[in-house]
Amino acid sequence: MSSKGRFTVAKATEQTDDSFDEEFLKKLEYLYIVSQKIASGKSRAQRRTRLVGAGIDFADHRHYTHGDDMRNVDWRVYSRTEKLFLKLYEEEEDLYIYFLLDTSRSMHLGTLNKWSMARKVSAALSYIGLSNMDRVSIIPFSSKLEGRLPPSRGKAQIFKVFDFLDRCGPGEQTTLKSAFKTFVSQNKRPGLAVVISDFYDPEGFDEGLNILRYHKFEPMVIQLYDRREMEVSIQGELELVDCETQEVRHVTVTPAMVRAYAKVFEEFCEELETYCSKRQILYFRAPIQESFEDLVLRIFRAGGFLK
Amino acid sequence: MQLTGLPIETIAWLAGAAAIFITAFYILKLRKRSVEIPFSPMWNRVLTSSRHRTDWWRRFKRILSWLLHIVLAALLAAAALGPHFDDEVLDERHLLILLDNSASMGATDVTGGYDRFDVARRKTSELLETIGGNDRVMVVLFNNRVQPLGPFVEDPSLLEASLRDLGATSNPTDLRQALNFAADSLRDRDNSELVIISDGAGLDPDTPIDVEFGPETTVRHIKIGESSENLAITAFNARRYPSNRLDHELYVEVTSYFDRPVEAVLEISSDGRLVDTQSLSLDARETHRQFYPGQAVTGERLEARVRLQTSDARDVFPLDDRAFATVPPPRRLRAQLISPGNLFIEGPLILNPHIDFERIAPEEYDPTAEFDITIFDRVAPEPPATGDLLYLDPPDEGSPFTISGREAQPIITDVVQSHPLLRWITLQDLNIGSSKTFTRSANDTAVASSFGQPIILAREDDDRRMVAIGFDIRNSDFPLRVSFPVFVLNILDYFAQDDVDLMYSFATGETWSIPIDRAATTAHMVTPDGERKATAIHDGAALFFGDKPGFYRLETDLGAITLAANLSSPEESDITPISLELESTAVSEEMETLFFERQQLWVLLLFAALALLLLEWLTFNRRWTV
Repeated sequence: MSSKGRFTVAKATEQTDDSFDEEFLKKLEYLYIVSQKIASGKSRAQRRTRLVGAGIDFADHRHYTHGDDMRNVDWRVYSRTEKLFLKLYEEEEDLYIYFLLDTSRSMHLGTLNKWSMARKVSAALSYIGLSNMDRVSIIPFSSKLEGRLPPSRGKAQIFKVFDFLDRCGPGEQTTLKSAFKTFVSQNKRPGLAVVISDFYDPEGFDEGLNILRYHKFEPMVIQLYDRREMEVSIQGELELVDCETQEVRHVTVTPAMVRAYAKVFEEFCEELETYCSKRQILYFRAPIQESFEDLVLRIFRAGGFLK
Repeated sequence: MQLTGLPIETIAWLAGAAAIFITAFYILKLRKRSVEIPFSPMWNRVLTSSRHRTDWWRRFKRILSWLLHIVLAALLAAAALGPHFDDEVLDERHLLILLDNSASMGATDVTGGYDRFDVARRKTSELLETIGGNDRVMVVLFNNRVQPLGPFVEDPSLLEASLRDLGATSNPTDLRQALNFAADSLRDRDNSELVIISDGAGLDPDTPIDVEFGPETTVRHIKIGESSENLAITAFNARRYPSNRLDHELYVEVTSYFDRPVEAVLEISSDGRLVDTQSLSLDARETHRQFYPGQAVTGERLEARVRLQTSDARDVFPLDDRAFATVPPPRRLRAQLISPGNLFIEGPLILNPHIDFERIAPEEYDPTAEFDITIFDRVAPEPPATGDLLYLDPPDEGSPFTISGREAQPIITDVVQSHPLLRWITLQDLNIGSSKTFTRSANDTAVASSFGQPIILAREDDDRRMVAIGFDIRNSDFPLRVSFPVFVLNILDYFAQDDVDLMYSFATGETWSIPIDRAATTAHMVTPDGERKATAIHDGAALFFGDKPGFYRLETDLGAITLAANLSSPEESDITPISLELESTAVSEEMETLFFERQQLWVLLLFAALALLLLEWLTFNRRWTV
């Protein structure tokens, strides 16, 4: 009775928190006002993308990586440092913002899950984008693309976003590479690609993100995780079942093993962060126990999303 | 290995069932909990990094918990079997410990304890610690009384608690009585052990005690004590002179139990004041006796103390170094003479300062009047209800003594010289004109007879004493003799009962019968410790069991008297440890076979099981085992 009761309460709470209601809309409006203060002085539809070679104004340097256009290498810097740096220019144009939402089963694990956080964050950022007259598109994915909200503009489109997000269900296992391959083949207009995922891809995350970069999308990584995944409380003789692959492992979980797992988890997150920072990809990591407003404000303050 | 617990078949059955249950529950426990995880490759990395132990070790860990439980069940089963080593004695014993707490056990000539009783008590505790599960034990204290601490019990802790508050008494020893009690208690009990923990003081080594124990009874004597060196006041009395009741004399007896000559000082105190000191030189085992005239020592409370002066000697028994005596105020007797007139008998009575004398003519005699002594001279009216009676030449009618005849000029041929009436006098050649003779009844003593015909009779009833003289003293030369006033005095002392003997001096460890006023209804005794105890009254005497030397005060609703109590036992003061010998039973002093240890292996097994349980709990909670 008690466990069932607890489950019911959790469900009710979750439904209340997840619904895109008036209250949620007020929160979005508040976030928008905050974003305006942070990015004051910028006119609508005049966000700047970091597109190499297309603009006039020099913006920044970054390390050369495989796939970059050699024409944009700053040879002067190379002559001084013998290291390859690319010159970045700013270009003004209508910004396409693609929200690539991971809908794999790992995102839906548990009552308070990562999917809940992901849809709220994506809704909030979509609202900001729509309000700034950017073209916002939402593409859920797992091992493949699970649908698509075509690019739309204007604040009024937010209800379409809500409706679309409400209709998204759990997908299969995460395969960034195949999903993003499909994405880049379907979307020729480069833009900001906000990837919201836990990045639990058995094949790794780098190839998938590289595909975005190679196709001139500007990736922005939001890694969501559950603190309970990092600080495992389970111990004993267990049968561990992978929620995506259904792979079963018989494990005797000891305290030492729990500590080792926490370390491995930390290493995994650091690998993703290091990968992003080396490639100047905006990276945010947030536990689902944190409120989505805090995460959104953190994104605003870091810059990159608001130009 | 001996097994005293549950039958091995039962244990085997239970252990088998437990093993089955443990295995079943272990298998159930091995059913793993299924947990859904978001990303198994991360666990793969963890497992890959921790896969440094061999497979057999992991397999062993999986069954370690089961093995621990099986061993646990085996330990419990082994504990239930009640294992003991082969050399342990496990038969049920009935152990009776006779613990001497007589006065001599207060001697301090011991090591490992305060006094002999303290050592004896420790020995008793050591014995009680060896009591096994099937043994029964009884501890009996004895001095001149026997006091069991309880019946035969299995749990010696009950006795240990009682033992803690005990100490040596001031009573003499009656080992024979204690042995008889032990023999009765151990009769028909198998494998019985009698352990006598005593110094043996007070025993006569030349007179073996004949108490028979059964063949199943082993008698052991744990002899306590190391020395006989004691200087004691073995007697200290005060008594009045029979011829002068106003005066008294003291008698002191000091005995040395040293085996060599010693020097000592004898001190006499009166009402707390030192009145005499005397140096004594005593040879080995010498007894010094001395009288003190009353003029030298006046006062009510007298105390004698002997102190050892020899520097290299030690008196190890202090209890008998002090003795106490009292000189109570003389008691005045009321006497009436029912006579038409007899100067011979009136003279000694009038001259006696301790007699309130009154002569009453026979026609004025009132039987309801209360007198301590009533003398009927040639008359025998109705006797008074109380008081002692003297009949002089009683008439046939009314006399309580049956007159058998009359004899002219009788010659006294038979006398009981030891009788108090004839103390210090002789009736030889007494000339009597004529005398009545009496028929002796059961309570009568023929003090003087003429050819078997009693002339002077003494009778002791429950509540009074009577004396009958068959002749008229005026018709004899008896009043002309020197012995006559002494005879009258003897009669008065005989009626007064106690006055001429030791006065109010009692021995400890006895029930004292103290004469008090018959009209007294309540009595309380104030002991030397200051404790006030209610005292029973029976037949004109207060009854009290005194067990401490010193001064006592008996308070009644009609007055109070002071008493003195002493150990007064030369046998008890001789504290020489003596080995006990019984005439028909061997007494062993060998103790090794008595103090055997019983290893309670089942307790160790339970502790091992507990430790194993703790280990299993630890290993399981730390996930070292499954």
